[in-house]
Amino acid sequence: MLLIIFLFIWNLIDLSSVYWLFKKKHRLFDDRFSTTMCMAITMISSFALALYLKLLLPVNQSGFYLVPIIVGIFIGLLFGGFIQSPALLTGIYNGIMGSIMGMMFGAVLRNPALCNIPIESVAMIESNIVSLAIFTACSHALVSQFIRYSFKV
Amino acid sequence: MTTSAILLYVDVWIVLCFYGYLLKIKKRIGFQLGMNISIVMGGMAALLSGVLLIIQFPFHFTFITMISTVAGLTVGAFFGLLFDYQTFVTGLTNGIIIGLMSPMIGTVIEMPSMFIIFLHGFFVFSLLTIFHSIKRS
Repeated sequence: MLLIIFLFIWNLIDLSSVYWLFKKKHRLFDDRFSTTMCMAITMISSFALALYLKLLLPVNQSGFYLVPIIVGIFIGLLFGGFIQSPALLTGIYNGIMGSIMGMMFGAVLRNPALCNIPIESVAMIESNIVSLAIFTACSHALVSQFIRYSFKV
Repeated sequence: MTTSAILLYVDVWIVLCFYGYLLKIKKRIGFQLGMNISIVMGGMAALLSGVLLIIQFPFHFTFITMISTVAGLTVGAFFGLLFDYQTFVTGLTNGIIIGLMSPMIGTVIEMPSMFIIFLHGFFVFSLLTIFHSIKRS
């Protein structure tokens, strides 16, 4: 669990650095560029954050089930709010899409019998969760690195 | 189960031949069509590799998720690099998301052969649509 909290903080730092760059430089680029970058960062970061939230929050209390979707909508609003309405629509759509997929992925990782995946023992499930969470964090870092590079050029 | 391996091999060759075809005529394609081609090809590569590999090896969920994610990432990125930097980022992100999802679809289906036939019909239909729109532009 400590590892997943660490990955969550890492991705949050990446996301906020992309947000500050976006806020500082979004007047320099045209609408198409901003819409594309908003779509990419919203999709991958809402996926990753929804996955970690689904893994971190307790299973039994059903009151938490809307939290990842609200986080996705919030990220979409945050990145889409810089420009006019088309980017807002793209941001909210991709945020909801990514967070629903991340929730599904987290639920399947926690309980592999949902998808008929033949993983039985607890240790296998734990190692499965850890390796796929690290992989998701690495791909999030890769995409945010590409986006930061595109803003610097 | 050998049919899924043969189909995977055929799909790899279809994607490579389509890449070579696009490499020759990339001057004629605008950025809008280029972005759609990158999204479709990255997503289809991730989906086909995930579903076919999880039917072939049902006991290796973690590795197959990683393999299909890397496949979608590379195919989307290479098709995007033909056109533009934004196309590159879009294809890469879309490939990652669909590649992380696709082995789950492969595990829950009940009639694998029918689903694979449907998936290949869908793939051929999207390729025909792309050819049609390249001819029109």
